[in-house]
Amino acid sequence: MAIIPFPNRRQVLALAAAALLPPVAASAAPLRVAAIDWGMLETLLALGIEPVAATELIQFRKIAVEPTVPRSVADLGLRGTPNYELLRIVAPDLIVISNFYEYQRPMLERIAPVLAQAVYAPGVPPYPLAEAAALTLGEELGRQAEAKRYVDETAVEITRLRAALPVGSGRPVFVISLGDSRHFRAFGRDSMFGDVLQRLGMKNAWTDETDYSAAAPVGLEALARVPDASILVVSPLPADVGRSLPANALWNALPAVRGARVAVLEPINHFGGLPSARRFARLATAALAGQAHG
Amino acid sequence: MADRAMTEPAATGHALSPIALWGLLAGVAALLFAWRVGMQWPTAPGDGIDLDRVILFYSTLPRAAVAVLAGTVLGLSGLLLQHVLRNPLAEPSTLGISAGAQLAMTAASVYAPFLMGRSQGPVAFAGGIVAVLLVLSLTWRRGLEPVSVVLAGMMVALTASSISAALILANGDYLFSLFIWGGGSLVQQDWGPAIALAVRLAIGVGAALLLLRPLTILGLDDASARGLGIARHSSRFLVIALAVWMATTVVAEVGVIGFVGLAAPALATLSGARTLRQKLLAAPLIGAILLWLTDGLVQLAAGTGGERIPTGAGTALLGGPVLLWLLPRLRMLEWPDLGAHGASPRKAGDPWLIILLLLLAMLLAAWVALVLGRGPAGWSVAGGEMLSDLAAWRAPRIGVAAAAGAMLAVAGVVIQRITGNPLASPEVLGVGTGAGAGLTAVLAFSAAAAPGWQFAGSVLGSLAVLIAMLAIGARAKFGAERLLLAGVTMSALCSAVITATIAMGNAQSYVLLRWLSGSTSQATGVDAWLMIACLVLLTLPLFLAARWLDILPLGENTARGLGLPVANGRLTLIVLAAILTALAAMFVGPLSFVGLIAPHLARLVGFARARAHLAGAVLIGALLMIVSDWLSRMAAFPYELPAGLFASLLGGPYLVHLLAKGVPRHG
Repeated sequence: MAIIPFPNRRQVLALAAAALLPPVAASAAPLRVAAIDWGMLETLLALGIEPVAATELIQFRKIAVEPTVPRSVADLGLRGTPNYELLRIVAPDLIVISNFYEYQRPMLERIAPVLAQAVYAPGVPPYPLAEAAALTLGEELGRQAEAKRYVDETAVEITRLRAALPVGSGRPVFVISLGDSRHFRAFGRDSMFGDVLQRLGMKNAWTDETDYSAAAPVGLEALARVPDASILVVSPLPADVGRSLPANALWNALPAVRGARVAVLEPINHFGGLPSARRFARLATAALAGQAHG
Repeated sequence: MADRAMTEPAATGHALSPIALWGLLAGVAALLFAWRVGMQWPTAPGDGIDLDRVILFYSTLPRAAVAVLAGTVLGLSGLLLQHVLRNPLAEPSTLGISAGAQLAMTAASVYAPFLMGRSQGPVAFAGGIVAVLLVLSLTWRRGLEPVSVVLAGMMVALTASSISAALILANGDYLFSLFIWGGGSLVQQDWGPAIALAVRLAIGVGAALLLLRPLTILGLDDASARGLGIARHSSRFLVIALAVWMATTVVAEVGVIGFVGLAAPALATLSGARTLRQKLLAAPLIGAILLWLTDGLVQLAAGTGGERIPTGAGTALLGGPVLLWLLPRLRMLEWPDLGAHGASPRKAGDPWLIILLLLLAMLLAAWVALVLGRGPAGWSVAGGEMLSDLAAWRAPRIGVAAAAGAMLAVAGVVIQRITGNPLASPEVLGVGTGAGAGLTAVLAFSAAAAPGWQFAGSVLGSLAVLIAMLAIGARAKFGAERLLLAGVTMSALCSAVITATIAMGNAQSYVLLRWLSGSTSQATGVDAWLMIACLVLLTLPLFLAARWLDILPLGENTARGLGLPVANGRLTLIVLAAILTALAAMFVGPLSFVGLIAPHLARLVGFARARAHLAGAVLIGALLMIVSDWLSRMAAFPYELPAGLFASLLGGPYLVHLLAKGVPRHG
């Protein structure tokens, strides 16, 4: 069985550099692209490219939310086992994946050339890789200008948001997702949320090592280790949390909860590209600014 | 001492008495707990350190309380179920109670979140009681005969967890929610769960004491109980409902914690508790010690980045080896020998005619799977050019599925015949999960290990488990139920290793998750031909050695008397079964249960002699897998679900139905 290779930084760069596909900028008809990876899907949409097919769109619309996926995009099913037959019928000219899905390459290459972009690797802050991925996609699909503009705009927006953050909101911030009312996953340095947090000039309160972007489930009491931290909870919240979290004695005793420094953010793709980075920057800044005023 | 009477003479050499052993383990657990409290004890009172106190009082203390209480509750629940059903294998997991509760909770959080918000407990109880009622009504006609009950229970459990998995896959964040959260973590942040469990436990103990006399009588066989004027059915049912209520509370409050309900009563008996009164004291205590100690060790092993092993998996890691070590050292469990004897199977009129029909059915299924499918425009029957195009995608999957199903069936036939046990199968004896443990070991060295190494690890893992099972079985004259107990234990042990690795959420997790759910999705034409070639190469020798398979179930002495090279013959068969299981698991995962179902169905159809049995099982296994693979692709189109999941959905209920109809069970 194929396995997922986890490239190191050098391999990642090599992969990005050696996009073996012929440039198609000059061709008349636009390329029909399919996306297996969600991060690639949102990046394509952000560049104004409408893919012909992508995976798990029901969940994408719920969890990643933006950019909006047009109804005309065919849903290929689960990311782990996309429907190759359907993809064959859709017959794209190019399939975009990430390093997560390298094991699918032999199957996908029977349908169309495959372009793999790596954004997430253990210990590597993903933002620069997401920028590189957007630029590479622009290059391959004849949208260099749009890609360049999007990368710049995103950087500008993050800088603007950073400046808009009130002075003195220099508290460390936990970015977490709740698994149930007792456990959370923390987003560390090598997650998109952690990287963007740093770019916003905030300190990540989660300093421990993370395994592939998000740590294994941790009991909520670990949040007490940094008493002056704020907490950003990325939605969605599990069904029972609404009832049990307000009754959770330890949760209520956390300094962040007592000091009303907790905010629940709308859902954001955990393994996203630049659009997710932007969405997180916007939502996090709004929440933190609200806290500073409140 | 009374406890010595149970053990074999050979075992009396052990100086440590069971009570001292459990006392020692409890001491270790207490020490771990004291160390933890000591670390968190507020050093200087003051406003800033208030949080330490909060963590101590709302996290550390309730967690220890929940560990002790949940262990006690599970021990008691398991004991009550085992006693009332007179079945040493009965417990919340084997009766489908935990899986039923989990399915109810999964379904509720998907379809009726408001229910989960308010009444998690009742939802879990409803799921658990429905599952157990289903199991009991299915096996009612067979007089709740223990092996049938456990078989039906495992099938109900399997079906329920398959549906849960399908629900999560079709609706949720499928990588994490199923395997990581709710995997029996004891993390606490207030006293709610501890209080809920304490109330259940108090009521449970009270009721058990009140019912002591009727309970004692219920432990006798039905005729004696009737003679003593006990309303058997109603009191039996009351006790079962009580046990279910207690067990599902644990599921609702902390998630599924396997194994304690099975191990605690068994260990109590093995430690010398003989009367019901002694067991009522010992089983809950042992359950409490097991879980408390496990939780202490899990916390000890935890880094700052989170706990590495869910406690629910840890219990199997700790209790499993203990139970495996103890099992062969005892002459017998106190329960009556369930044996593997039953009515002899119905003889088919002409087995080869039926085999021809099965072959036709399999070919028909393969053809339908090849031409009939769903596309963007709905259902369509492919033909001509479209067919040749689609066949390039469909044929390899059909080939791989058929080969994998057939391989599991062959492994099942071999294992059932070697052990002379109708319930033994690669899945039940943990051979499939053993392959996973071997794969985990290889991945521990390198997450990017080459497929060849991964396969070698799988084969060695399943081989190790199979040899261990047979070695344990050979040490004493093993009854059928004890081999199964060992198998369930081994399976829990290997699953714990896999779960713990998956819970780390790293590169290995993704590889293992994909392996565990099993999919023919990545199958290529080369894979299909390789699998078919392996099937033929590994199965042909078995047809030639069919005489071994006919004779081995008759016992070692008979076999030797008939001039069979018993040791070599067995070893060859074992190696073949292990390779077949590991091969099949690469594409359909370890949990399809085709290895249990196919040989069973072949027997029920009437194949008695080894050669016909093998041929029948191969065809049924292939047929089952072809149909489930096709269904898994069609059911939620374009979403493709794991094929192994559908195999259990398909074969499980049918097998249970056959059992319920009272078709003679084979031996």
